[in-house]
Amino acid sequence: MLSSFVAKRLLTGVCQAAWRPSIIGMVSSRGYRGDAPDGPQVDLIEIPLPPWVERADEPIDTKRRRLLYESRKRGMLENCILLSIFAKRYLNKMTYSQLQQYDRLINEPSNDWDIYYWATETYPTPEVYQVEVMEMLKEFTKNKNHEQRLDAPSLDYLDEEYQLDRS
Amino acid sequence: ISAVRQKTKLTSLRDCSLELVLNPLFTTTLNELILFYFFMTQLISVAPQISTQYPVVDHEFDAVVVGAGGAGLRAAFGLSEAGFNTACVTKLFPTRSHTVAAQGGINAALGNMEEDDWRWHFYDTVKGSDWLGDQDAIHYMTEQAPAAVVELENFGMPFSRTEDGRIYQRAFGGQSLKYGKGGQAHRCCCVADRTGHSLLHTLYGRSLRYDTSYFVEYFALDLLMEDGECKGVIALCMEDGSIHRFRAQNTVIATGGYGRTFFSCTSAHTSTGDGNAMVTRAGLPCQDLEFVQFHPTGIYGAGCLITEGCRGEGGILINSEGERFMERYAPNAKDLASRDVVSRSMTIEIREGRGVGPDKDHVYLQLHHLPPQQLAMRLPGISETAMIFAGVDVTKEPIPVLPTVHYNMGGIPTNYRGQVIDHVNGEDKVVPGLYACGEAASASVHGANRLGANSLLDLVVFGRACALTIAELHKPGEKLSPLRASAGEESVANLDKLRFTMQNHAAVFRTGPILKEGCDKMHDIYQTLDSIKTFDRGIVWNTDLVESLELQNLMLNAVQTIQGAEQRKESRGAHAREDFKDRVDEYDYSKPLEGQQKKPFEQHWRKHTLSYVDHKTGKVTLKYRPVIDSSLNEQDCAHVPPAIRSY
Repeated sequence: MLSSFVAKRLLTGVCQAAWRPSIIGMVSSRGYRGDAPDGPQVDLIEIPLPPWVERADEPIDTKRRRLLYESRKRGMLENCILLSIFAKRYLNKMTYSQLQQYDRLINEPSNDWDIYYWATETYPTPEVYQVEVMEMLKEFTKNKNHEQRLDAPSLDYLDEEYQLDRS
Repeated sequence: ISAVRQKTKLTSLRDCSLELVLNPLFTTTLNELILFYFFMTQLISVAPQISTQYPVVDHEFDAVVVGAGGAGLRAAFGLSEAGFNTACVTKLFPTRSHTVAAQGGINAALGNMEEDDWRWHFYDTVKGSDWLGDQDAIHYMTEQAPAAVVELENFGMPFSRTEDGRIYQRAFGGQSLKYGKGGQAHRCCCVADRTGHSLLHTLYGRSLRYDTSYFVEYFALDLLMEDGECKGVIALCMEDGSIHRFRAQNTVIATGGYGRTFFSCTSAHTSTGDGNAMVTRAGLPCQDLEFVQFHPTGIYGAGCLITEGCRGEGGILINSEGERFMERYAPNAKDLASRDVVSRSMTIEIREGRGVGPDKDHVYLQLHHLPPQQLAMRLPGISETAMIFAGVDVTKEPIPVLPTVHYNMGGIPTNYRGQVIDHVNGEDKVVPGLYACGEAASASVHGANRLGANSLLDLVVFGRACALTIAELHKPGEKLSPLRASAGEESVANLDKLRFTMQNHAAVFRTGPILKEGCDKMHDIYQTLDSIKTFDRGIVWNTDLVESLELQNLMLNAVQTIQGAEQRKESRGAHAREDFKDRVDEYDYSKPLEGQQKKPFEQHWRKHTLSYVDHKTGKVTLKYRPVIDSSLNEQDCAHVPPAIRSY
């Protein structure tokens, strides 16, 4: 029990194939798995990247502001739109621990496509990211109300004066 | 004091009853050109001028690289490896650069699938560029390609492999054997469908071994220029709002493209042409910005790419009359005609009033006539994307699509060694201390049209070229030339203006009616830039401020693009005009050359556009520079004389 727990902990983060059961037990958390056609996959290519570390002593407001920027600026368009609308809907209401989960979710994985595939449930989410915020993101992504999500929202939802004037 | 508060919001173009159609065709009236800007909230208030003291931190390095995508990382790594104390300034974490979106691959004539020769790749690229590409740079890139791929492999990039362990290569559009006569070539090396990510991961990892200093989530504001020489970069640290001046003998710009100037683009919200704008503000030109590549089917508004595979599986394009209009434009190929034919057909339909939607500004891609199992099995990603972004159930409704901006061929002009050039008195002149690579640069290898899988190659070859050139011309630890103490004050003043300027009126960002005089309109809109202001006055993680800076950068790219397009009275590669349908070269290459009079430089269009902007007024000046037609070594690789481009 303990060793598989340890092994799973070591797999956090970047590894593209982290969700594939066949490589549980391998050491590096940032090892990169090649995608060779067949046969036993022994060549785990080690490219050591510094592990993601949560920022210590960050006030909650600063965290929110940083996560807003990091939600709106992603590697590809799909994530930019999805996460910026998600941030508009939920970021200001998140508790500190939810913010921590979100921070890890959007900053630790090195391939932005992974986050998209997990949110769309194309691939199963690795256990370390199976948290409350991820459930929120998955639900949001399903788009049950068939909303049109054609662009990242304008920032004026944050402009209090503008909101007051409108009401 | 009664504070007059009047806010106007620039929302998406949907709010206005406009016929804003993105289109690859430019006519003299330019009523099809749509420019999408970041929306901005404008605020006026009679607030006292706040004193602005930003902590300023000065750094000294041998080299500074702006941008940490494929090209930036390759340059940074190359420089660090050569012993240069290198800084890499980036507004995003390196593995989150837009390169990560690339799923295609890298072209290289390795010859793993069949006999291959880089000279055939050279020919394909020259032809693909519609003879606007500089053949010396193309020679350099295609000759270096195999070595570049092998080098990446040695760095640990896990390319997909054939059964006998060699790098697997697949077919890609525009690649042929034997100078176009030997059929389809298989030259595209890939890492499954995540070549872009793999490239970033590999290069970032390697660069860290050599002690590259990364300044992540720093927004580069401007170049520090003195006496026509580039002496570094000034940047804003988003985390604490401090200003950082990076002094360096060598500056490399690798900031990517500017897709976000358009209403519909496949680019992430980070593609805002920051490098192009920095260079423009420094009084230097940008090259060929009017050459913008379109992909026929991107989701209307969102811009997310809908793969050609949909049409391959039987999807059809429909106009407002429910007609499968491609039958008229391409009776044989129909919906599977080449990309630019499909894009132009879609645009013509929209312009002639048969567009769909409330603004009649797009068309539909219909898939619901296909059996649901086929959709689920062959096109699962599409069903998802359509639901997630367009709210459309593809088994019941069609997807709204539009030709979408996909790549910018133009950018900062460089020679084949990566050095930025200006064109003075009819001669190319190197700008000391400044280099550029990647989508931000125009070497120019892609000319008027880019071939698929050549972009990732461009990144690594020219990223490396910049590092090599710097290593050749300079040594680590060289003494920096003096820089005046007030360097960068304009950039800081701009930050203040965005945050605190007093205004009496709110100018309106006009999303305006149909852009009949597109250029004049752009000019008016440019003037309103003066009134933008952020609502967020903070200095820590101020997304509003960063997006305002990006808007300024986008505007500079936009005015140059539209002016260049309006002036270029021909159709070449990705630049297509209804009113000037043919290529205008120095000879008419559709006929034998004997007996033809060569047209003087001023009378033909086989030349690069160089655009300068006075950033205070928005006035664009255009100049032209000849295409380099000779390769680096005519013995080794003869140049390809222009011909009619047909496939």
